[in-house]
Amino acid sequence: MDECYNKRLVQDRLRELFFLSGYDEVETPTLEHIDVFTGVKASIEQDQMIKLFDPDGKILVLRPDITMPIARIAATKLKTSSLPLRISYICNVFRNQKAQSGKQSEIAQAGIELLGVSEPEADAEVIATAVQSFINLEIKEFQIDIGQVEFFKGLIAQAGMGEEWEEEIRSHIDQKNMLGLELVLKESKISDSLKNTIYDLPKLYGNGDMLKTAQKMSNNPRCESAIENIREVYSILMDFGFERYLTFDLGMVQSFNFYTGIIFRGITSELGYPICGGGRYDRLVNEFGHDIPATGFAIGIKRILMVLERQKNLCSIPTVDVLVVCERDYRQEAYCLVNKLRSDGYRTEVFIPTKQDYDYISYANKKNIPKIIHVDSKGSHEMSTIREV
Amino acid sequence: MITIALAKGRLAEEAILLLKKAGVDCTAFNKPSRKLILLSPTDNMRFILVKPSDVPTYVDHGIADIGIVGKDTLLEEGHPLYELLDLGYAKCKIVIAGFPDKKNSWITHAHTRVATKYPNIAQNYFSRLGEMVDIIKLNGSVELGPLTGLSDIILDIMESGKTLAENGLVVLEEICDVSARLVVNRVSLKTKSTAIKELIKAIEKALEG
Repeated sequence: MDECYNKRLVQDRLRELFFLSGYDEVETPTLEHIDVFTGVKASIEQDQMIKLFDPDGKILVLRPDITMPIARIAATKLKTSSLPLRISYICNVFRNQKAQSGKQSEIAQAGIELLGVSEPEADAEVIATAVQSFINLEIKEFQIDIGQVEFFKGLIAQAGMGEEWEEEIRSHIDQKNMLGLELVLKESKISDSLKNTIYDLPKLYGNGDMLKTAQKMSNNPRCESAIENIREVYSILMDFGFERYLTFDLGMVQSFNFYTGIIFRGITSELGYPICGGGRYDRLVNEFGHDIPATGFAIGIKRILMVLERQKNLCSIPTVDVLVVCERDYRQEAYCLVNKLRSDGYRTEVFIPTKQDYDYISYANKKNIPKIIHVDSKGSHEMSTIREV
Repeated sequence: MITIALAKGRLAEEAILLLKKAGVDCTAFNKPSRKLILLSPTDNMRFILVKPSDVPTYVDHGIADIGIVGKDTLLEEGHPLYELLDLGYAKCKIVIAGFPDKKNSWITHAHTRVATKYPNIAQNYFSRLGEMVDIIKLNGSVELGPLTGLSDIILDIMESGKTLAENGLVVLEEICDVSARLVVNRVSLKTKSTAIKELIKAIEKALEG
């Protein structure tokens, strides 16, 4: 019960922030045809999707992600809407997890998507919303780690060594595996300066100063514009006063088939995995037939709750404020009073005797209810007995 | 506070030697003890001793920030971690071994039976080759597989090759070299970056000298 209460608090705060920031909430179907998630460059592998069959034998999946259904809506129902589109969601997604890995198959998420703008202002707005979310949720000491996949893509395009090689390089960079990276590079027929830059990529992480180092290293236009893009977003976020939350990592190269620009993750020292993740995915909506850029992020609600718990920042459910005890002859008066109390914002419970608790005073004591109103007469109900227990 | 997960046994002993050399206070290990969590009083460090195959799990969940474990275990468990250093000890090879007379014929079997402690590595390796195999998971003395007829071949780590030779088995294929690695949780590297970077630099220095 306490977990559910805290989960609702988190969801309510996020919903309010997204709403006040101009985002409209959507709900997408829980069951979708598998095509929604596989016809496109997906960020989720097919074996991670939980599948079922419809009566015609077609394959359905339990929504493994919300970004793709939202892209589909943006490209169809909302095609004629004026841009930018600001969409938010608070839903569960479903994924097959490795057995006994301690990860749940049903994942509660909340997030936003900002569609139709490719400017750095959009990336900054999305990251700022993530920062503001964590501030509003009262998470202490979090960090947003920002990367740009175009930097890596620029380097491997320059190398031109083919897909298999690229994947090998990517996985070594992703794991910051210097030895593995060195061995692959040693055998590659590419220029030494490019080798050195690729070799240094896993080390390109840290605060804003790292961007200067990266700028010196990039000697092709694609990498340069990637760095320029990060710097623009960084400068906007500095104007918002968010500098202290930001770190950078150009070796962040997961899901790079899906993302096309700035990517980021929210982290805290209490949890070994990110509490949010997102970035720019300019090609996805086009896969559904409408060529507009997009960026967004998702927060893992369960992970937020884990962090709040470890930071000792969870709430317990407030007790009931008033217990109304009603004598048989005065039900009508009692019910009027209960309604009045509830509309005044008091959490009000009507006493129903049970075998264990036929005495309302001991019941109120047991449940820590501070006030009792005994309705045992007609007339002004405010005048009924209120007494401290 | 940094938490380091060590693989119990020989790997831990060598890891402690290396950490000492890197200037880490390892006095907690001086007295023989059955404690599973050890604290280093001066360095603000905590050690947990776990089974080798559990090291990547502790690091993945961020319960340990750093882990020291064999590359074979990392390949088998497949967690997304940062693999920052090759520590150079516990060197061995992952190989396929079997009887020499089956060397050229086992591939043609419709379903070669492979006994191994590493079912995931075996699955990945053979599916990349496009070969159908039946994997039989064993927990030790894998060489017994072909000897008793439980399997046609084995996939295992090999240090000197002595055990294989004494049992009449030969290496049919070498898959890769493995050794002890230092792995770091993806979030810890960022949130505890100063402390972790210092430690890694010290270990790198100890490895060189």
